[in-house]
Amino acid sequence: MEAMNFNFLCDEPPPPSGASVGIVGAGPSGLAAAGYLSCLGHAVEVYDKMPKPGGLMLFGIPGHRIPSARIEAGTLRMARRYGVVFHTHTKICCSAPLFEEEGDHFCTDVKGLGDMVKKHDAIMIATGSWRSRRLEVPGEELPGVCSGLEFLFPIRAARYCAPGVKAPDVAGKRVVVVGAGHSAVDVAHGAAALGAAGVDMLYRRTRAEAPCGSLEIERLEASGVRWHEGCAPTRVLGGDRAAGIEFRRRTPRGEEIETLPADVVVTAIGEVATPPFAKELGLESVRKGEVRWLNMTAIENVFVAGDALTGPSKIGKAVYSGLRAARSLGNWLELKAQNRQTEFSGDEFISREADRFPGGQFKDAPRVRGL
Amino acid sequence: MDKQKTLCIDYSKCIGCETCEYVCRFVHDVPRIHMIRAASGLMAPLYCRHCEQANCAKVCKRGAIRRDVDGAMVLLPMLCRGCESRQCMLACPYMAIFETDKGVMIVKCDLCAARRQVGQEPACAAMCPCGAIHYVEREAVAGLADEAFCEAEQRVLDCLRPVKGTAAPAPKEPEKP
Repeated sequence: MEAMNFNFLCDEPPPPSGASVGIVGAGPSGLAAAGYLSCLGHAVEVYDKMPKPGGLMLFGIPGHRIPSARIEAGTLRMARRYGVVFHTHTKICCSAPLFEEEGDHFCTDVKGLGDMVKKHDAIMIATGSWRSRRLEVPGEELPGVCSGLEFLFPIRAARYCAPGVKAPDVAGKRVVVVGAGHSAVDVAHGAAALGAAGVDMLYRRTRAEAPCGSLEIERLEASGVRWHEGCAPTRVLGGDRAAGIEFRRRTPRGEEIETLPADVVVTAIGEVATPPFAKELGLESVRKGEVRWLNMTAIENVFVAGDALTGPSKIGKAVYSGLRAARSLGNWLELKAQNRQTEFSGDEFISREADRFPGGQFKDAPRVRGL
Repeated sequence: MDKQKTLCIDYSKCIGCETCEYVCRFVHDVPRIHMIRAASGLMAPLYCRHCEQANCAKVCKRGAIRRDVDGAMVLLPMLCRGCESRQCMLACPYMAIFETDKGVMIVKCDLCAARRQVGQEPACAAMCPCGAIHYVEREAVAGLADEAFCEAEQRVLDCLRPVKGTAAPAPKEPEKP
């Protein structure tokens, strides 16, 4: 498998610039930034809590969608040829208590942001969105209810010899998956492959609106998964562990309350961003584009990019955000080396550029006709 | 001209992550590859195949779409007058020519012309996480087309060019999720 070329902007490692950059998070955004900045000759060090760089591309998305060999070859290429240092099992500071986010049990080392600011000339925070969104319905805390990532992680991570990580035990059990994104689809496929007695999917809207696309749903149905649309869960049933799920189904006659038996309920309804020190870094104003310097936080040499800034998005947007923040960081480092960084801060160009991509859709997306 | 290279996307491997479009946007400012989501829920990046017999070039009255030394069909903005009839867009069987609000108001893929000049491959192919985008000689495309490839390709083409009478009423705008 050919490597994903994070260093696509240069062919050869450039001469070293002498500057050191720390990147927190080795997902699509952090790796794209690492690729850009290592092409400028900066000494890049990437920190990630997981056992391998790649983030959700490696641990969230199954290998038949994104070949792990392609990501691994890309990060290896960056490490070997461009001297990027990867610190795995390492978490930088903690906005929330440890073990509240998915994947925290992998990290063995915790470093503070303060140490980082001293060690590196600039820092990029690209920590992504790792806290699973919850249904907020009664019974959600019962054993047998888990999030999509909680379900998917162990399947991939068990291979990376993290102690105590086992593939979920669903053999012979009835599994209900809530949601219709790609991870919900992956959970359903995973459960079927692990020998679940039956897999049901609940989605509150219709299949044409499902984020995973209608084709994925057809494939799931072909593999025996039952698809229920217009269904919003209202309660997880069960005494000491999940035994079923109660939901409202939208029908032409109105809403009906129905139930399904379930031994395992997986809620794959998305994640929320978990940037460290969101308040101290003033991420809200970065998000709004009220910045002195593109993607710069309230701390002068700390930049932010990717899902940590914009909330959960697709890989493409995270990559773009990482590249853009890396360009901004690179420009700033260069001016700082000449002691001219204040000359351009907060100028018109920066606010215009911040306006163009406020973390949402582009206004100038290309158009096609007649489709 | 020998050994023309082209892009070739294996739609069966594509997961709709939009990395190609966003990397293209980073490199070219206005993307020349575009992820659509049809009303049926089908997602696919539309891209230029740099056809051997290129319809877009044939219909352009100004000859503004030409083949370059490597075989890529490139748009020459000096000749394109951004005509309102948009013949090239209509002529493209793959819907790979896009309207924008910048310059001549038309963009198309040039296989990263500036990158090719320094020996680099198109950026989308380098960064696709799935390895679904191939930058290959035209003759090699047939070799990549296995059963899943052809089925997925056909699904996308059926969506772009519905057979008369069989298609569901076409939606007006492709919407992005």
